Amino acid sequence: MSLHFFWILSLSLLLGQLVLLLALAWRKEKMSAKEQAITQQYEALIDSFSSYMLDPSDDRFLREIQNSTHKIVVLERLLNGYVAVTKGSVASPLVTKLSEDLLAAHYAKQLARKDWASRMNTLYYIEDFHITSLKPLLKERIDKSSILDQETQQLLRTLASLNEPATISVLARYPDAPVRLYTDVFQRLEEQTRMEELDAALRNEIQNNALKHAAVSYIGRAGLIAFLPRIEAELKTGEAEMRIQALKAILHMQYLTDPGLLLSFLQSQSWTERMYASRIAGKLQLSRFKEVLSVLLGDPVWWVRYSAAEALLQFSDGDILLTHLSADHPDRFARDMAAQWKSSLLGSET
Amino acid sequence: MQSFFEVLAYAIIAYMLFSSLSYLGFFLLAFGKVKREANLDRKESTEDLLGNQNTFPVSILVPAYNEEVGVTSTVRSLLSLEYPEKEIIVIDDGSKDKTSERMIEEFQMKEIPFAVRLHIESAEIKAIYQSSIFPYIRLIKKANGGKADALNAGINLSSYPYFCAIDGDSILENDGLLKTMKPIIESDGQVIVTGGSVRIANGCTISRSKVEAIDLPKSPIVLMQIVEYFRAFLIGRLALSHLNVLLIISGAFGVFNKERVIQAGGYNKDTVGEDMELVVRLHRLLREEKSKQRIEYIPDPVCWTEAPETLDVLKSQRIRWQRGLLETLWSHKKMMLNPKYGSVGLFSMPYFLFVELLGAVFEFVGYFLIIGGFAFSLIDPFTAGILFLVTIFYGSLISALAVLLEELTLHKYPKASHLMRLYFWALTETFWYRPLMVFWRVLGIFAAFRKGAHWGDMKRKGIST
Repeated sequence: MSLHFFWILSLSLLLGQLVLLLALAWRKEKMSAKEQAITQQYEALIDSFSSYMLDPSDDRFLREIQNSTHKIVVLERLLNGYVAVTKGSVASPLVTKLSEDLLAAHYAKQLARKDWASRMNTLYYIEDFHITSLKPLLKERIDKSSILDQETQQLLRTLASLNEPATISVLARYPDAPVRLYTDVFQRLEEQTRMEELDAALRNEIQNNALKHAAVSYIGRAGLIAFLPRIEAELKTGEAEMRIQALKAILHMQYLTDPGLLLSFLQSQSWTERMYASRIAGKLQLSRFKEVLSVLLGDPVWWVRYSAAEALLQFSDGDILLTHLSADHPDRFARDMAAQWKSSLLGSET
Repeated sequence: MQSFFEVLAYAIIAYMLFSSLSYLGFFLLAFGKVKREANLDRKESTEDLLGNQNTFPVSILVPAYNEEVGVTSTVRSLLSLEYPEKEIIVIDDGSKDKTSERMIEEFQMKEIPFAVRLHIESAEIKAIYQSSIFPYIRLIKKANGGKADALNAGINLSSYPYFCAIDGDSILENDGLLKTMKPIIESDGQVIVTGGSVRIANGCTISRSKVEAIDLPKSPIVLMQIVEYFRAFLIGRLALSHLNVLLIISGAFGVFNKERVIQAGGYNKDTVGEDMELVVRLHRLLREEKSKQRIEYIPDPVCWTEAPETLDVLKSQRIRWQRGLLETLWSHKKMMLNPKYGSVGLFSMPYFLFVELLGAVFEFVGYFLIIGGFAFSLIDPFTAGILFLVTIFYGSLISALAVLLEELTLHKYPKASHLMRLYFWALTETFWYRPLMVFWRVLGIFAAFRKGAHWGDMKRKGIST
């Protein structure tokens, strides 16, 4: 290859880059001007938007937004700001009306675009603004999807936020669907649908353990006491993972009809069960287990020692107990752990 | 003799063309990925995680050695991070300045007894402090043992399943941790390490531990480092991460699965490249276990850090980096070209050896031949001309391309004038900045043979204004 070849190659690459540079600089200027215009229009519309949201009879906003050259983006920002700061705004009929009237048709087109980021953004906004008219379109898309990628996951979340019960059965089609996604879906469904789906998940007629684990986990976190007897029943199951999920749920619910159920877990061979049982004993302030917890403070597993000390601290005389144990416990690690937890009161004391 | 240099010159030309093509290949790979996500509404994509109980709690470890200028502003910036559950552990590795005193005073810390789990050996822990204002801020005061040792001590004290290692002079963007944890949460733990982009804060306006306005510094040395970071992060790391063969997660900012790190033995105290060495060891562990877990780099979460402004400090930093690279490759030489380690052994390790490490030697010889060719007829002037053009292509044009890639995708710098300045400075790289780097990197190879781990001698001005 000759010197000429390299000259031509280098110069053409440089030239190509310079053209690209100029195009990018021009784009940057244009984007900056556009952003400035959007910000100006957003600021100009804030007052009339706020008035409209407080009193829909003041419909200045509806006329003004039609004149905006960046109607979609400005409205998205206004509505986003509103739903982010206003409690219960997701179910606001005004948010729904504005988004149905001015955004739904645009979003239907966006969902058909090739650009992945645009489709994802649209799914987020449909969820935020609760645009129910797009439900059939979303269902059509979910039926066509065959892999549980990021987009399908968001599609499921968005559909669940529109209270589509079929989302659970669609999700169950994927054997590797994570528990996290099931709980995301439960969280978004409306109360009645959610209770029905949780009930079905606990019955586990379709033999889907991930779904059942997710249901137990969700029940615990949401503190759905109505399900407590069924969660307690799971403590007796032979499946170790399910027992742990049930213990976790009880820990979150902070309720147990028969505290005696806990004893076998405090003495379990499994350290995870000992750990959760210790935490429950502390959270529920079950004084009868103080002695067992003092023993568990010297458990061979660090996490059990940690949880036992944390549990002891929950009792009204916890600080005295830990002071005593930090000096007199026969196990050195137990003494250290007790001392550590005693000192954790530092931040709360001031 | 002249024919020997001619052959050598052509070998260098072939090497540079090959390396340039590999960069272009990486560029294409990186471009597709970054472009796809460029218009994604990042706030929307992470806001769900903020209130989500499935978000794993994270221990943030801040190793500090003589960081009295910046340590409290780093901790303040960490306090304002949007993340549901976190603890902050600053590890003062036997500083000679007032690093600990600043922390104790600023956050009203009191000494506490603490039952530290000894997962990994570390130098003697002298005291542990806890803040009375924010109980989840703790300080470990320990004997000097190096950055790796400080991080190991932090791992021992941490309570959560993931830890984020961040340098004492860095500032993380508010949603940086959330964005970095996102792949870990969404993969249900299949991603065990994530790293974000590190950007240079010199020139930016930082107040109340937050980057308020992004701007460029005046110093050409710092400007060139910005370009260099684009090249390393946006072209190299993104593509390597895409192939799951990324060997470096920056020590300035990365999130790790604690259990996996403990299993791998923690940070290695015997190398100055402890960040890379740990990542290579984790890859090794994953491949030996035939695990499908991954290590990922995400371009968007940004950590701002202070770059060296003087040649002396820059020189010592580059020598340290090169030395760390050599030490890591040497200590894991068993993986090199070993099919047992899959693409990491067959592709990534040789790539880091020939392009990242020995590239400096090839380039050094290249510069020598160019000067020798034009000034002393060591080689044919035509060959020297070709070598010169290829060197420009390999250095300046690829770096300029990285600037354009940044603008095409993330466009963090707000003004068109920023883009122009960065681009034209990138074009000058081959003529002054790169020869310096090449020379120091060669020195770094020699330095690897002289042992003795120590912290970098960074002269901090502090990036908060």
